[in-house]
Amino acid sequence: MNWSLFWDLTVSGVTLGSVYALVALGYSMVYGILKLLNFAHGDVYMIGAFMGWFALHWLGGPVNPSVTAALVVVFMFAFAMVACGGLGVVIERFAYRPLRNAPRIAPLISALGVSFFLQNSALLLFGANFRDYDTFDLIGAKTYHYKDIFLSVPQILTIVSAIGLMIGLTLLVARTKIGKAMRATSFDREAASMMGIDVDRVIASTFFIGSALAGAAGVMFGLVFGQIYHFMGFLAGLKGFTAAVIGGIGSIPGAMLGGLLVGLAESYATGYLPQGSTFQNLYVFALLIAIIIIRPQGLLGKADVNKV
Amino acid sequence: MRRRATAIAALSVLAALASVAAASATVDRAAAPSAAASLDRQLISCGKTVTMGMLAPITGPAASLGKPQVDWAKYYVAQHNKANKKLKLRLQFGDTVLGGPGGTAEAVKAAQSFGANVLGVVGPAGSNEVKATTATLKGAGVGFVSGSATNTTITTDGTRTGFFFRTVPPDAQQSKDVSNYIIKKLKAKNVYIIDDQEAYSTGLADEVQSQLKAAGVSVSRDGVSQQQSDFSSLIAKIPRTTDVVYIPWQLPPKGKALGEQMRSAGKGNIKLMGSDGLYDPDFASVGTNVYDSFFPVSPKSATVKNFTKAHGGNGEFFGAPSYAAAQVVGGAIDRACKNGTASRAEVRAQIMKTKLKTSVLGIPISFDKNGDIRRKKFGIWKSNGTNFLPVG
Repeated sequence: MNWSLFWDLTVSGVTLGSVYALVALGYSMVYGILKLLNFAHGDVYMIGAFMGWFALHWLGGPVNPSVTAALVVVFMFAFAMVACGGLGVVIERFAYRPLRNAPRIAPLISALGVSFFLQNSALLLFGANFRDYDTFDLIGAKTYHYKDIFLSVPQILTIVSAIGLMIGLTLLVARTKIGKAMRATSFDREAASMMGIDVDRVIASTFFIGSALAGAAGVMFGLVFGQIYHFMGFLAGLKGFTAAVIGGIGSIPGAMLGGLLVGLAESYATGYLPQGSTFQNLYVFALLIAIIIIRPQGLLGKADVNKV
Repeated sequence: MRRRATAIAALSVLAALASVAAASATVDRAAAPSAAASLDRQLISCGKTVTMGMLAPITGPAASLGKPQVDWAKYYVAQHNKANKKLKLRLQFGDTVLGGPGGTAEAVKAAQSFGANVLGVVGPAGSNEVKATTATLKGAGVGFVSGSATNTTITTDGTRTGFFFRTVPPDAQQSKDVSNYIIKKLKAKNVYIIDDQEAYSTGLADEVQSQLKAAGVSVSRDGVSQQQSDFSSLIAKIPRTTDVVYIPWQLPPKGKALGEQMRSAGKGNIKLMGSDGLYDPDFASVGTNVYDSFFPVSPKSATVKNFTKAHGGNGEFFGAPSYAAAQVVGGAIDRACKNGTASRAEVRAQIMKTKLKTSVLGIPISFDKNGDIRRKKFGIWKSNGTNFLPVG
């Protein structure tokens, strides 16, 4: 067993999985409340990556930032999260709310439309060129290692902040008033409304939080992998969605688990399977199909019980 | 009874439509070659200004390669027009969006956008684009000269002989020079080759791989799509004992991303070698152990010096062979237009007769029967952290 390869692949898989987990959370939260597959979510993630890039350059760029690197990173995350949160609320208000009582196919089509709208708007506004985060210029090229396990600063930053955000979200949903309202709305929207919960506000809050997490994931991707472009949300959105389904769509811990599994599967497939780097997506989506066949509700999802 | 009559009438209409469609298709098929042939020999009045087409990646992931090509071609046209009072050249651009999500379809669309007034074309940049646009350009009788498409077989397979030419040596030469440098100068024992799954890249990677293996070097091979930005798991597979990672790719930002992610994974000490497609400051910025194979552009040439001065000190060397390509097409148009009219066939014939004793590439330019330049040479360049400097 080549342990060096194993640990390299594991670190890479966990880093990527952390990004996917944050994207998956947005899918899961929205599905949990609205039973809507928000296909525009991957593009919100892409917008988040661009917002982080703009924030970085407003503060002087990676080579000569006007404040310390730590502050730049914090501002990049904060700006991308707030901007994407706001974008999520706008999308919900104008693309999904008018269709809330329409047949389920209508908001799905609307979500696809929003996805293409965001992608092409980004192409129009930001151009087709790749943008570099130049992370090394910003936070240095230092790599920490323990025996065969190598971790760079951006990787540590990504894993730690993803864990932090997931813990924060779990606490928010479990222990706050808005979290309780979100759970109630997810359980039975009509009953929640009759109990005095402002359902519109709860749904808007859910979109804000889910989109803010996608924004954070976009910045993480830029910091770790260096480059962003207008089309990056498509595949990441699909992987995030896959992670949400594997974990059990609607389940927050499921989304986290699914994200990590997809990240690790992608990484191990690249490392160990024949022509893995070429066909990694084939392996990841085969895993999705296998899990869906064995456990249609996902690993941590609950099976729907319908009265007949 | 009425229903039956309606059905018969409907069938008759359908049959009539089908026969009209078949007839028009027959006419189209018959007309196609003669239309192309007539376009080929159609004489265009040169007047005071003639149009030269240029296909380049003006936007998209490879826009950083397209910019120097466009800048150098414009520079040639400006110089030409300054020196020629009677006949001016005008450039008409087509954006091929090399490496974009639409594949080579954009290149074909760009080639189709050229009107009958375009007498010759500079470009396209990529070998796959050359293959994709051949039907359109050859069908219209246009000669096209690329300043960067290096895939070996695009000149030798006979598909575009007499129509396609290039001012850069083929990959067969590039692979030989790269392998020699890796074996003799870098003295590498373990090499990891990663192609980008495109024709240009796999062809070059295959050739380097077989030459290194023949010299007893241990070679591992992998491939990765250029739609990907995360190379971390691929990098994990590269053993730490590797001496050189060879990436014959076409998108400098991707080469940069791989280099930076290698540093991030603690593998920044491994030498990284790119090919002509990665010859860009973006790739050079990865670090000082980055190498590249590129055309032997002479920084001492007066044209290169003047261009560099006119462009704020940036020589944009990747575009220099496109200057030579524009020089070839422009010169051919000048000669064909001597009697006031020219056809695309005449321009092609003049391209074939090109004989430039000196060029910005430091070598004379004339073409063999396949459309390749006769004097073939690649240079090896090393990064100083910002730009590439010649080392071999």
